[in-house]
Amino acid sequence: MAEKEAQFLKDIESSSADVRFAAWRRAGEMDPQVIPALANLMASSQPGVARAAREALEAITHSVGVANSDRRRTVIRQFLTVLQNNRAETVKAQLLRQLSLIGGDETVPVAAKFLKDPKLREEAAFCLERIPGAAADAALAGAIASAPDDFKARLLAALGHRRSEVGIPHAAQAMQSSNKELAIAGAKAWGRIGKTTAAPVKLPERAGLTEWQKTELLDSQLRFAEAQAANGNAAEAIAIYKGFLDEKEEHWQCAALVGLSKIHLPEAAMAIYSKLKSRNPRVRITAIKAWRKHSEA
Amino acid sequence: MSEKIRSSRREFLGRAAAGGTVALFDIVPARVLAQPAPSDIVNFGHIGLGGRGRQFLRPEVKPGDKVRANPNLGGPGDRYLRPSRSVALCDIDSKRLDEAATKLGGKPRLYKDFRRLLEDKDIDAVFIASPDHWHAIMTIAACQAGKDVYVEKPACNTIEEGRAMVNAAERYARVVQVGSQGRSQTAAWQACQYIRNGQIGTVRKVTCWHYASPTGDWTPDAEPPPNLDYDAWVGPAPWIPYNPKRTHGAFRWMIDFGGGQIRDRGAHVMSIANWIMDCDSTGPVSIEATGEPPHDGMYDSAVTMTVTYEFKNPDWTLIWAQPGEPSTELEGRYGAKYWGDKGTLTVTYGDGQNTNTEQKAKDYKPLLGGVEVFRSPGHAENFEDCIRTREKPIMHIEAGHRVASLCILGNLSFKLQRKLLWDPKAERVLNDEEANRMLSRPGRGPWHL
Repeated sequence: MAEKEAQFLKDIESSSADVRFAAWRRAGEMDPQVIPALANLMASSQPGVARAAREALEAITHSVGVANSDRRRTVIRQFLTVLQNNRAETVKAQLLRQLSLIGGDETVPVAAKFLKDPKLREEAAFCLERIPGAAADAALAGAIASAPDDFKARLLAALGHRRSEVGIPHAAQAMQSSNKELAIAGAKAWGRIGKTTAAPVKLPERAGLTEWQKTELLDSQLRFAEAQAANGNAAEAIAIYKGFLDEKEEHWQCAALVGLSKIHLPEAAMAIYSKLKSRNPRVRITAIKAWRKHSEA
Repeated sequence: MSEKIRSSRREFLGRAAAGGTVALFDIVPARVLAQPAPSDIVNFGHIGLGGRGRQFLRPEVKPGDKVRANPNLGGPGDRYLRPSRSVALCDIDSKRLDEAATKLGGKPRLYKDFRRLLEDKDIDAVFIASPDHWHAIMTIAACQAGKDVYVEKPACNTIEEGRAMVNAAERYARVVQVGSQGRSQTAAWQACQYIRNGQIGTVRKVTCWHYASPTGDWTPDAEPPPNLDYDAWVGPAPWIPYNPKRTHGAFRWMIDFGGGQIRDRGAHVMSIANWIMDCDSTGPVSIEATGEPPHDGMYDSAVTMTVTYEFKNPDWTLIWAQPGEPSTELEGRYGAKYWGDKGTLTVTYGDGQNTNTEQKAKDYKPLLGGVEVFRSPGHAENFEDCIRTREKPIMHIEAGHRVASLCILGNLSFKLQRKLLWDPKAERVLNDEEANRMLSRPGRGPWHL
């Protein structure tokens, strides 16, 4: 290791907070070879040293964050090596968080292994959820089958957040689970992904759901309808919204009216019209606003 | 869309209008249609009952009652509470929950899980005063449950969270007011009217000042106290062991939970700036931050910091500086100075309690035909009025999201130590992959947007 890097590591371990600070601020200029040593120092019993090492690792990450480069690939390689060899969970968690910011396909198989580790699976999901691309989608979806139910829900949430189509069959399967929490997690993922499938998706039965689960289910349907309207599938969106106009609670009716106001078709206008004289002032006002929006479009 | 479909729809709209229904509704203001019966009382639920959250509590106020509003919550001094009552309380700290229930009196329903409170059909609206990292999930959930929302500032912790809050409020046609109460202060309104009527000319620069953040120390991590559900406290944020210096009150100095002075007080000072400069639905095109975090200790938010934001069309510069250069015209521990080509104006603080401006703005009355700026009757009162009228409140969620975006992007540039080029419409950083990944943060466990 060069003299510059040796001095840098010595400074990270300094008893002076100012010296440590000056070191971590220049970490982005260091050879990525310092990463394994910094990872070890992150587990130091001296909190100031552990923090300086963590900050230095973050600075190295940020120094290669703008775009892909040879240096970024070298940093990622170092992170992955440490991730597979360092024993400290806090270090692995930190590296997974750093890799979420700069990692690509090369990171996916290593991070995916931790999806089976009860202590690190949350961090692995965090990492993979942020990494763009089909490889991360496949890793998240591929872990669902063997995951416990609560973590299945976490993986479905990641796929929903990513609007990943590979999540649709997993979401559809989850919606039929007798575990209502998992069924709702499936519905949430389905609604957020917002894509239609060849075979119709069967939503969880409302019977047996808690009030909050019903709320989540209906919200998922609204999000799905929004996606349909945005993707040009207005007929399906209108059908969903019309169903919501029959809901008892005013906010579901209002949500339907808001959705219908964005679909510039006569059928949507007629559905809005039906609520212009609603006895509920909130529904009535929302219908008037929706009607005006239609008129202006 | 084809012309045929478009014209058919218009024909339908025209026929319906000719039938009288639409004409009737078009000439009756929404506020008239939504006026409650005299007996209507808004039922509030409260989520988060620390120091701030408890200030929102209220015993029953019936129509005709003259009950003075809390002077610390933004607005003129002579305002009165609207008919309302607090009926349900929620906190993940049972000690705080009990203390709040005792303070309120009566028999409010008590919850530890905010979702149970939101299931309560008796509640019309909620006050959310949880730590910042919970604001988005709770606000979105409240909208899903049909509640109107008053959420404390800053609105959100990430750009994605803010946009999701805006979408939820729109999706459910809910009223969402963000607690940057300065906009409801008389002095801020006077300053806004003064500047918008051109009294200092065209404003090209706004300079904010604020004292530095605390540096913190090393307090050992510990077991959480039995009254606190710490896992719920961390909620959607990345896991970190319990430490009393990172939770109640002190969470503000951690980027993952609070975000430092720029997010705490910046959400006041820059809320006024965005309002005066009419930037509630846009943002800067570049952000560049410099400064230093604590050299040691547990906190990681900036101690000193200068952030320069460049806006386009119109072109102006906003500078957040801690400590910065206090205005010489008016004394205040923090605030902003507006630099026009014909003069300057200072607005100190910008919060719900101490906001002040110079006498020339206080004395100013717009000429006939001049710009008349809406004057809020009080921040909470404006929220309650909008619950009834369904109109947008003065610090609506889009405005709150845009102010929070300034704070978030300032911290992002500070953390990355580089200038960010920002597309305020697409809400994306130009040519910076890492910065874009940091615009959202995966939620932990079951907590997702």
